[in-house]
Amino acid sequence: MIPSKVTAHPAAATGGPAGRAADMALVERCRNGDLAAFEELYRAHAGKLFSVACRMLGNPSDAEDLLQEVFLSAHRKLETFRGESALGTWLYRLAMNQCLDFLRSRTARTNQVTGTLDDEPGLSDTASRGLAERTVARMDLERALVQLPEGCRAAFVLHDVEGFEHREVAEALGIAEGTSKSQVHKARLRLRAILSAAKS
Amino acid sequence: MMVECTRYRTSIQELVDGTLGPIRRAELDLHLDQCDGCRALASDLQAIHDAAASLEPLEPPGAVWMQIAGRLRQEGRVSAPSIVRATPRHRAVLLALAAALVLAIGASILLLLPEFRATREQAGQATTGEGNATDDVTVQSVEAEFRLAEQHYQNAINKLEQAAKLDQAAAGGGIDPQTAAVLQKNLQVIDQAIAESRAALRSEPQSAPARDSLFDALKRKVTLLQDTIALMNEMRKGNPAGGAQLVEGLNKS
Ligand SMILES: [Zn+2]
Repeated sequence: MIPSKVTAHPAAATGGPAGRAADMALVERCRNGDLAAFEELYRAHAGKLFSVACRMLGNPSDAEDLLQEVFLSAHRKLETFRGESALGTWLYRLAMNQCLDFLRSRTARTNQVTGTLDDEPGLSDTASRGLAERTVARMDLERALVQLPEGCRAAFVLHDVEGFEHREVAEALGIAEGTSKSQVHKARLRLRAILSAAKS
Repeated sequence: MMVECTRYRTSIQELVDGTLGPIRRAELDLHLDQCDGCRALASDLQAIHDAAASLEPLEPPGAVWMQIAGRLRQEGRVSAPSIVRATPRHRAVLLALAAALVLAIGASILLLLPEFRATREQAGQATTGEGNATDDVTVQSVEAEFRLAEQHYQNAINKLEQAAKLDQAAAGGGIDPQTAAVLQKNLQVIDQAIAESRAALRSEPQSAPARDSLFDALKRKVTLLQDTIALMNEMRKGNPAGGAQLVEGLNKS
C-alpha cells in the first residue's frame, strides 16, 4: 500500500485546470457540511501530511494530534479557500505552519532547561570529515533529521523527502524560492556533519 | 581542499537538486576530477538526498479520522452525519444487513439447541430414573447431538471471526483501539473458558456441568462476535454493497 513518489506528489495529484476544478467542487461540498466529502479530502491528503508531520515533529503521537488539528482548522478555513493554489499545497502550508508553531512552543518549553542546540560547537557544516560509507541508512537519517534547525528541516523534508520542487516548497512554507534552496542546501550540509559525527 | 572549492559549493548542491545546467556541470566535473574533497562532498550529499527520497510514507492510524469526524459532528459543523444516520433509508439498509448477518450465522444454532436440550433431558431422566438401565443408544445419540451442536458453534465462530476481520479491513481500521482492546480482552476470557470446559470434558466426557459451561462459553463467544460486527457496522460509513456481499458469502459457505 505504499504509493510511489510520483503519485504521492501533490502537484501530480491536483495540478492542472481539471485538478483545480475538482478541488473546488470538493471544497464546495465540504462547505455545505458534507462529511463524506471531507472524508474524501482527508483520505487524499492525510497520509502525506502525516508523513511530513512525523518527520518534522520526530514522533508519531505528536504527529497524530497535529494531523487532527490541521484537518479541523482546514475545515474551518475552507471558507477562505479561493483555489489560487492547489488544495494539496494549501493543506501543506496549513500543516507546515502548525508544525513550526508546535516546534517553537516545544523549543520555548525545553530551552528553559537545555538551551538551544542549533549552534552546537564542533558541528561546523563545512569542516566535516564526511561520511565513512557511500550510503546512508534510513534509520540514521530519521534520527539526524530531528536535530536540524526547524526552518531547514521543513525545507529538506518537503524537497528531498517528499520530492517537491523549490518553487513548491517556497509556496508551502511562505518563503522565497531562493530561501528554499539555501535552506535545503544548509540542511544537507548539516546532516552530513551530524551523520559523520555520529559514526565516529 | 583548494582555495577555489567554495566556488563549487552551489554547483554541487544544484547537481544533487538536479537543476545544474550543462555548462556549469562540465566545469564542475573538471574540478571534481582533481579534488578529492569536493568529490567526497558531492557523493555524500547525493547519498543523503537518495536516502531521504527512499524514506517510506507513513500511514496515520484510523482513529485519527474517527476523532476528526466526531469533533465535527459534536461542534455541529457537518449537517449530514456519516455512519448510520446518513438517511433513514440508509439506516434501514444497514440494520437489515446486520440482522441478516446475525440470522445467517445464528439460525442453525438456534434451531438446533432446543432439540439438543430435549434429547439431553430425556437421557438425564433415563440415567437417574431407571438406574443403570440406561439406554446406550440414547447416550450415544446425546453424544452425537452434542458433537453436532458444538460443531455448529465452532463453524459459526469461524465465520464470524472472518467476517469481523473483513469488516474491520473495510472500515479502514474500524473500531477505535480502546474498544478493540476491550473486545480482545473479552474474547481471551471466553477462549479460556472454552479451553477449560473442553479440558473438563476430556477427563469427564459425560459431565453435564462441563457440557453446559462449554456451550455457555461458545454461546457467549458467538454473541460477542455478533456484537463486534454490529458495532463495526455502526461505526462505519454506510457501505450496503460491501455488506450485502459479506452476507451473501456467509449464506453460501
Ligand atoms: Zn574542491
